[in-house]
Amino acid sequence: MTEAHDNPLEPYVRAALALQGYTFGDGEIAEIVMQFSRLEAIAQAVFDWPLPFASEPAPVFRP
Amino acid sequence: MTGSAADIVQQIAKGTRSAAAVLAECKALIEAKDPDLNCFTAKTFRRAEREAAVIDALYAEGKALPPLAGVPYAVKNLFDVEGMVTLAGAKINAGNAPAAADATIVARMRRAGAILVGALNMEELAYGFLTENHHYGTTRNPHDRTRGAGGSSGGSAAAVGAGMLPITLGSDTSGSIRVPASLCGVFGLKPTYGRLPRTGTYPFVNSFDHVGPFANSVLGLALAYDAMQGPDPADPACAQRAIEPAGVPLSLPRGIRVGILGGWFHQWADPAARRSVQLAAAALGATDWTELKSAEVARAAAYIITGAEGGALHRPRLLERYEDFGPASRSRLVAGGLIPATWVIQAQRVRRHAYREAMDLFEHFDLLIAAAAPAVAPNVGQETLLINGRSIPVKAGLGILTQPISCIGLPVCTVPVWPGEGDSPAERALPVGVQLIGAPWREGLCLAAARTLEQAGIAEVRLP
Repeated sequence: MTEAHDNPLEPYVRAALALQGYTFGDGEIAEIVMQFSRLEAIAQAVFDWPLPFASEPAPVFRP
Repeated sequence: MTGSAADIVQQIAKGTRSAAAVLAECKALIEAKDPDLNCFTAKTFRRAEREAAVIDALYAEGKALPPLAGVPYAVKNLFDVEGMVTLAGAKINAGNAPAAADATIVARMRRAGAILVGALNMEELAYGFLTENHHYGTTRNPHDRTRGAGGSSGGSAAAVGAGMLPITLGSDTSGSIRVPASLCGVFGLKPTYGRLPRTGTYPFVNSFDHVGPFANSVLGLALAYDAMQGPDPADPACAQRAIEPAGVPLSLPRGIRVGILGGWFHQWADPAARRSVQLAAAALGATDWTELKSAEVARAAAYIITGAEGGALHRPRLLERYEDFGPASRSRLVAGGLIPATWVIQAQRVRRHAYREAMDLFEHFDLLIAAAAPAVAPNVGQETLLINGRSIPVKAGLGILTQPISCIGLPVCTVPVWPGEGDSPAERALPVGVQLIGAPWREGLCLAAARTLEQAGIAEVRLP
């Protein structure tokens, strides 16, 4: 497993945790960095998907 | 087995069986079978006896009986039950005050004459496709106890699959009805998003949370679904639509167009899952393949929205009681709470795009079919699934075929099919469910197709 300090997302995770009021030790942060990295990898598909400029979000979804 | 809901209703109406007698048989089955499976986290037998007495009194007085008169059922432990603590599978909730009232759909089941016998195990906070609960134990598969029941509504599916109950209730955010229904070999209905009210249910992801029934027969599923329908202004996502009965006895209209979902849904189905789809397709006369091109990205969007909403929902408790969350949940929830807003908004845009693509498909088809899980039930504790030569983590992979559909809120009836495929006799004895996917608000069509498959002998609940 990649160490958290080798992960380019680690500074973001540390900053975002502080912003949200979390205080964790390095072991817990490493686990959260790993989980966030998985989300980030999945999120790439969302970013790469071509959408028309004006396409609307569906925050309140009513089929 | 207690029999199907429709049989029980008929027997009680004819006086050949009393509600009290049905309940006594059901209690004996639960006491005999549950210790090995760990489906129940609480039993409500005293309440059940009171409810059964009401039904038997109605019969004795010659009064009309409600539609689920005397049918025993149980609920995933995220539904409020008056006088009980709503656990949602989590230790952090164990010290909460008992619920002051039943959840809306539990109250509707009560008014329909159903008899509540208990609360059922689930994945902690409904976050996951297994029911390997750190606090309340693992729910095992009734067809092979070395395997899991799936999740997050694992107790609900396993209790029906084991023959303890004809009906249970569960919830489905990304596949939590459809995956365990597939793995345990039972029928499950995830209605259209907004069809059934969630008032009095413990939330997970408001944008995706659905509630629905499991059953050992399609008619039972339809009877429960009809009993729970109706608007509820207390749930902002609940569509304020009049009740649209499923249309028992559920006949499939002639000439319906059934499309087989290829692409993502074929790639991520192993030979057993593909065989289940093939059997269902043949019985429904489906030969045309089609594709939901945005399936993969819809799944990704579901992941992002789920992470963000789940993380935000639980942040106050994560800040105060991180150690009281299970190790499989807590770091994922915190990580989800760190997702930037731009990801979430983009995911919601993708979601609308995927929905429109699906609506275009429904110009050509009335019903779409796909496997409900990529493979048969994995072993308890198994880490990865190997699907057509590609390895994926079990935790995420079990929902790979359900997430794209719940992301866009379509109604799905999952039916139990027994493909007889696999590398070992044990695998060949296990089911893989098939999703019958309709356009929004067409639950009746999904149920009618399920009934067709049941009558053809393709979909059936087999007792272990």
